Amino acid sequence: MALFAALQTTFLLVLLPLGTYQRKVLSEPRPLTPESLEVSINSTCQCLHLQWSIHSLPHHQELQMIFQIQISRITTSSVVWVGNYSTTVKENQILQWSWESELPLECATHFVRIRSVMDDARFPKPRSWSKWSSWEEVDAQDSLGHNALFVFPKDKLVEEGSSVTFCYVSRSNLNNVSCYLDGEQIHGEQLTPNVSTFHLSHVRYKRTTGTNIYCEMKQGRKLAGTVLYVSKVLEEPKNFSCETQDLKTLKCTWDPGSDTALTIQPSSNYTLFESFSQKKKVCEDRNWCSWQVTQDSQEMYNFTLMTENYLRKRSVNLVFKLTHRVRPMTPLNFILENINSRNATVTWKVRPIGNSTFQCQVELHHDGQVIQQNNVFIKVNGKYLLSEMEPDTHYLARVRCAYGNHFWKWSEWIDQKFTTLEAAPSVAPDVWRNVRSLPGGYDVTLFWKPLSKSHANGEILFYNIAVESLDKSSKFNLSIPAPHNDTKLTLNKYSYQIHVTANNSMGTSPASVIVIPGEPGHKEIEEERVKGTENRFSLSWEPQSRDAIGYVVEWCDHPQDPLCGLQWQKLGPNTTSTVISSDAFEQGVRYNFRIYEISPGWIASLLEKKTGYSQELPPSDNPQVTTSSLTSHSFTLNWKDYSTESQPGFIRGYNVYLKSKMEQCTSGFERITPSDDSAGCRHKIDNPEQKTFHVENLEPASSYEFFVTAYTSAGDGPNGTFTKVTTPDEYTRMLTHIVVPVILCILLITVLFYFQIQWMKEKCYPDIPDPYKSSVLSLIKSKENTHLTIMNLKDCIPDAIEVVNKPEGSRTQPLGTGKPLTETELTKPATYLYLLPTQENPSGSGPCICFENFTYNQAASDLGSSGHVPVPPSTPPSQLGLLYSPENLLKALEKYYTNSLGEIPAGETHLNYVSQLASPMPGDKDSLPTDPPVQAQCSEYKMQMAVPLGPASSPPSEDTSLSSTAILDQGEHYC
Amino acid sequence: MKVLAAGILSLLLVLHWKHGAGSPLPITPDNATCTTRHPCPSNLMTQIRNQLLQLNSSASALFIAYYTAQGEPFPSNVDKLCGPNVTDFPTFHADGTEKDKLVDLYRIIAYLGASLGNITRDQKALNPKDQNLHSKLSSTADTMRGLLSNVLCRLCNKYHVSHVDVSYGPDTSGKDVFQKKKLGCQLLGKYKQVIAELVQAF
Repeated sequence: MALFAALQTTFLLVLLPLGTYQRKVLSEPRPLTPESLEVSINSTCQCLHLQWSIHSLPHHQELQMIFQIQISRITTSSVVWVGNYSTTVKENQILQWSWESELPLECATHFVRIRSVMDDARFPKPRSWSKWSSWEEVDAQDSLGHNALFVFPKDKLVEEGSSVTFCYVSRSNLNNVSCYLDGEQIHGEQLTPNVSTFHLSHVRYKRTTGTNIYCEMKQGRKLAGTVLYVSKVLEEPKNFSCETQDLKTLKCTWDPGSDTALTIQPSSNYTLFESFSQKKKVCEDRNWCSWQVTQDSQEMYNFTLMTENYLRKRSVNLVFKLTHRVRPMTPLNFILENINSRNATVTWKVRPIGNSTFQCQVELHHDGQVIQQNNVFIKVNGKYLLSEMEPDTHYLARVRCAYGNHFWKWSEWIDQKFTTLEAAPSVAPDVWRNVRSLPGGYDVTLFWKPLSKSHANGEILFYNIAVESLDKSSKFNLSIPAPHNDTKLTLNKYSYQIHVTANNSMGTSPASVIVIPGEPGHKEIEEERVKGTENRFSLSWEPQSRDAIGYVVEWCDHPQDPLCGLQWQKLGPNTTSTVISSDAFEQGVRYNFRIYEISPGWIASLLEKKTGYSQELPPSDNPQVTTSSLTSHSFTLNWKDYSTESQPGFIRGYNVYLKSKMEQCTSGFERITPSDDSAGCRHKIDNPEQKTFHVENLEPASSYEFFVTAYTSAGDGPNGTFTKVTTPDEYTRMLTHIVVPVILCILLITVLFYFQIQWMKEKCYPDIPDPYKSSVLSLIKSKENTHLTIMNLKDCIPDAIEVVNKPEGSRTQPLGTGKPLTETELTKPATYLYLLPTQENPSGSGPCICFENFTYNQAASDLGSSGHVPVPPSTPPSQLGLLYSPENLLKALEKYYTNSLGEIPAGETHLNYVSQLASPMPGDKDSLPTDPPVQAQCSEYKMQMAVPLGPASSPPSEDTSLSSTAILDQGEHYC
Repeated sequence: MKVLAAGILSLLLVLHWKHGAGSPLPITPDNATCTTRHPCPSNLMTQIRNQLLQLNSSASALFIAYYTAQGEPFPSNVDKLCGPNVTDFPTFHADGTEKDKLVDLYRIIAYLGASLGNITRDQKALNPKDQNLHSKLSSTADTMRGLLSNVLCRLCNKYHVSHVDVSYGPDTSGKDVFQKKKLGCQLLGKYKQVIAELVQAF
């Protein structure tokens, strides 16, 4: 029984909690429908704000519940969102929840309903949803007012890159409304009969003042709008770091990124929160903030940097130990002491941080480069010796320090510039000379290069030139102030040793020695060509003597300039080649190099000569070509005056281009590949000294065009114009060679024949036989009577002159006895002047053209008379007037007839004409003259007779008259 | 909102430095005494006319600077957005006596001054970098303040009026940005129009 009682008790004890459990688990309450649902609109965030409550919670407990919320738009059936909200619910608690709508809530009516389910482990599954609450309608359009047009949302703020939906609500026909963004029309879609929406995707930041979005009714002058603000995205702070200089204050810095400030949104603020101390500080600046270190020996710090704007929050975290973030302050009292030419001492101080040591870094800079760097550990005062510096050199010394217990960062540098003191120049100046021989001496120009800064050891003040004669004991010094780098000496023809030293304020450099020999050698050295590459020449030479102490290569950087820019390079005794490079080398310029060998006695002797171009160019000009020896098959080209030395390259030869209409090139020419129409044939002359070329094997009567150009290794000279040459015709040439001599021969023969005819005529059938020349006379003389002579007219004394007047009409009649007038003129076309005035013609005015009275002339000539003067046919008519005056006449006589006058006997020079009278009857040829004789008009000629003056004026003898008459009968002539 | 309201109140106190300013005031009875804080100049009407001329000469430039600073669509839709449709704007009776006209002028300038204060405040927030607009607004407000003082002097000295009922435009502090821009533009359009009428009347 007791056992039973015990068992019963145990059973009851077991059942009791089980019963309790069963009462807790199994007694599931009815689903609880949310009640008192209220929905409101928050236009600022475009949110629907819901609040509700659950009544009759079972057992007045807290229950974990899930609420399902359904949101419809326009109609209850068009659900746009469904979601669950889980929370713990207490008895009579008012629950709240918000939903942000993408579409402005003013654009459409929204409906909300809610139901719940228990989500508590104390209730068994499955759990059932409660009933939906009734739809709660929210319509913001009811409170819009009476305007005709609205645009929503107002003052919308979004982040860059996001999307935003606008709508307009119109009280009239939607078709009349147009909407614009920043002046550009945007197109939307109709949501309800009086609402249209516009969706803008990935909006971009434009300006802090926002962008107007507006809609206008085309009718009614209605315009409504809103402003869209696009903010840059708030960035997470970068490079967040905190450090201290004195373990008292922390300075935290960061990179805030883009500023998100707009006119409706201030710049994001930054807040520091330290979690160990739970302290917070709002920072005044966007990129740094100070934090006061507490005096309670807090070692660890956990900072959170927070920032936020209206749209977003950002934060970064930083945990560190304070002593690991020590960056000492910049050292102070940085001083340079004991500066000399090579060394200096720097001293400085640091602000102490407890008993910590500092690691300091000392640097020495020269020309922006670090040349020395050393670390030293100090307590408070630092000191360091800077050594191995160059004299008279600018340096910068600087120092920085770091916390010795734990290196975090170096402090800022502190620096100071200084200059080391000068020292005497360390090397001798590099000296070279140019010797020009003069009568009885030399002009020696000394050149030296400025010492490099590392060798000058200070500012060179002057150069000392010591000249010592080696042949006689004479010596003198010159001091050339810097920066001169040459001087000219005029020396006698002795050997001189010259010492050149550079001097600064601290002393003298070693001397550079050069010897000018008294008798320079005159060795002929052939110039050798070298080829340069870009701006360098590789030179090599053969040593002459084994004891040379060095070599010097000399050249001019600007060989075309008068000053030439003399350069030299000194080389050691074992060097037999070098590369001469200079930025001054130009292509197309010939550079001449002279290589000297320096003897142990410092005498320089010319070893070799080189010449070359750094880069050869084609000839700058073409030869001026002349042609000669032109034949029907050849011609010769000459360009003797072409200078090959002044070209921008070594002239290698010449190219002779020949163009013709023939397809084949003449022998010696080759066809060149036609690159254009000007291509033709080419003959290459490889000898630059050959400046003539004979082009042969040409076609007669053909046109050729030639062009001659020189060429270098870089190519031909400039393009030029072709010169045209036409070979002559072969037959024309033949004719020229044959016909011209024939014509000349014929002319010669004609002349000969002419004179022969005259001779024969005179000999055989003269017009007026000369009795003296008659062969009959000689025949008579030889055969019959040797005393038989011809009467000499001179021996006759005329006693009467009979003047016979013939009628004009009979003038043509006597022609039968003589020659026709024309024939006479042709036979002897001489013209005679009316030379001397007669008494009947005292004025003697006007020239008179007369025909020669051969009879008289012959007689007169025979008599040696020169009463009238024949004028050569070549005498131009203009001279006639000049001859008219007595003076001119005499001059003419002297000029043309000196010989004949010389032959005139003295007593016979006074012969004069008695005729030259004519009847002035030009128009009446048949009538006899009745008027007295007047001045002859040369219409006719009278008989002429030479009448001696003076004694001869006495009446002539009859014989004379007879004789004269006889002569006149034979020689009737008219003029 | 409270801060903004306090700002406007301060502005109104400045504009009406007399005791009791800030609330609609009845016209002082003729037999009441009237005193001013500072002595009034003798050529008051001349100064009032000159100040009106000065305001009139600068009104157009201020109007243009304002709607230009607001961005599109304001410059190209001045008639739609900036029409002088200002409700409750004090009336002006040009055919009244000088006293009546001065009282009307006082009410108008007080209204405009308060509105200009709202506009200045709004534009400093909406266009903080537009110094041209700010200087024009500030200059106009200064002139209005002087004009108001002179008008009050004249009313007080000659007509013994020390209290005038005034009304103010709507407070824009609660409006959206576009509406602030639009209301300001409308007010300045009205100002430009009415100041020309006032110049003609005086």
